[in-house]
Amino acid sequence: MSRLLLHRVTKRFGGVSAVNSVSLEFVEGKIAALIGPNGAGKTTVFNLIGGQLNLTHGQIFYDDVEISNKLPWQIANLGVGRIFQDGRVFQKLSVLDNMMVAFPKQKGENALWSLFARGIVRRQEKVLNQRAYWLLETFGLLNSTHRLAAELSYGEQKLLAIARLMASQPKVLLLDEPTAGVTPRTAEKILRILRQEADAGKTIVVIEHNMNVVSQCADVVHFMESGRVSLSGQPNVILDRSYVKQAYLGM
Amino acid sequence: MMAIYAILALSLNLLVGYIGLPSLCHAAFFGVGAYIATLLVLTNTMPFFLCVLIGILGTVVLSFLISFPSLRLRGDHFVLASLGFQTIVFSVLYNWIEVTQGPFGIAGIPSPRLLNWVLDTPWEYLLFSLMAVLLSGMLLYWLGQSPFGRVLKAIREDELSTAALGKNVRLFKVIAFAVAAGFAAFAGAIFAGYLRYIDPTSFGLTESVFILSIVIVGGAGNTLGPLVGTFLLLLLPEVLRFLGVPESIAPNLRLVLYSLLIIIIMRYKPQGLAGEYQYQ
Repeated sequence: MSRLLLHRVTKRFGGVSAVNSVSLEFVEGKIAALIGPNGAGKTTVFNLIGGQLNLTHGQIFYDDVEISNKLPWQIANLGVGRIFQDGRVFQKLSVLDNMMVAFPKQKGENALWSLFARGIVRRQEKVLNQRAYWLLETFGLLNSTHRLAAELSYGEQKLLAIARLMASQPKVLLLDEPTAGVTPRTAEKILRILRQEADAGKTIVVIEHNMNVVSQCADVVHFMESGRVSLSGQPNVILDRSYVKQAYLGM
Repeated sequence: MMAIYAILALSLNLLVGYIGLPSLCHAAFFGVGAYIATLLVLTNTMPFFLCVLIGILGTVVLSFLISFPSLRLRGDHFVLASLGFQTIVFSVLYNWIEVTQGPFGIAGIPSPRLLNWVLDTPWEYLLFSLMAVLLSGMLLYWLGQSPFGRVLKAIREDELSTAALGKNVRLFKVIAFAVAAGFAAFAGAIFAGYLRYIDPTSFGLTESVFILSIVIVGGAGNTLGPLVGTFLLLLLPEVLRFLGVPESIAPNLRLVLYSLLIIIIMRYKPQGLAGEYQYQ
């Protein structure tokens, strides 16, 4: 079933079309990969879906509800979560606090509740705390719970960013190069978790430059070039095209 | 006075230490709270605490006027916007003579009365002020430690990521700004009751810079830092007096010392004496 639909989406910066009439469909329970050379418009597509950029033309639908040009926090609250290329964890917060911020619908985020209904807030915190610990254990970060995020290695920060995204309980996960800069072992762990999430019914879209990763994890691949989607299909079919190899890998 | 500045510094810390917004208009909220409460007290139609409450609410409403348009701004641009607001409020207090009596100020403010307790001795006022600091400190500490405070810190670290996690960044900022303004107004009402006289010069830009200095020197991002800053910067003039520095040069020397202290602390302890966040 289609969960995220892009219909003739265009983004222009002045006279330059970064994304040009792109139509894509992302279904639940599948991992889709967006590939293409630098400047192809992949991250811009993510920014348009996530609301970080406004569309010039076109429409984006999430579960049949139009989300074009909604604000990022509104889109996230509907269930579309993303991580950025560099992870962007909260550097001066502890690993645990990074996780705790992410949980949706926290009563204590209302200033009045946090002052005058402290018991209720504390009880909810306790439950969320347990969930955060469970997620940190899943991602192998349990030993770093009370360290500042800034003290983690690049790979650990990537893991934290994904764990934090999971804590926000999205139905669609947009991941910009989730395995870039991490060790092969960490990359393997990330891919295993992503597959589990897809099997649980989540819709996952990754931007990825590593062709091994794409062939391992993707169910469908969309090849972008100069702001357009020029090829879509199964990984083995797309990655074997000499056209793709030449444009993407210079082979 | 120390109690009043402690409330001001603790409330400004919510903006500087938690969201990372160096506001230069805290004295404006301090003044608006003082004036509203004073004008109401002088009508003799309602009890003191109700005048204070209306002063706080009025200031909170006024805070929306600056927060809605200016909280989109960051860093230097926000500082300039808050400076503009500070200047406007000061000009209104100074020139709206029919209401504020302008540069002449308002004298003869009656002693605050809480039920049957009239605060007309310094000791009684000290006790009342300490209770006010305790209450403000406790509420602001709870806010800082709560999920609300956690989101503010996340906004300080990375607005884009915080919004991508479904948090309405602008709303959080507006609320934090309103809370900080409300506590500043509370301090203003206590200040007016203590001195029994107010005039616009107590609520000018110099005062805003002084409150910001307290937070930066003491340290931002926790409750202890602003308290340490308050003690240090308010006790300095008393130390000068104790050392026998002539009164004629004491005010200027105080300014020089403040400046030197800030430079030294920023050089060797950029997060302040007891803070956990290094303002950048």
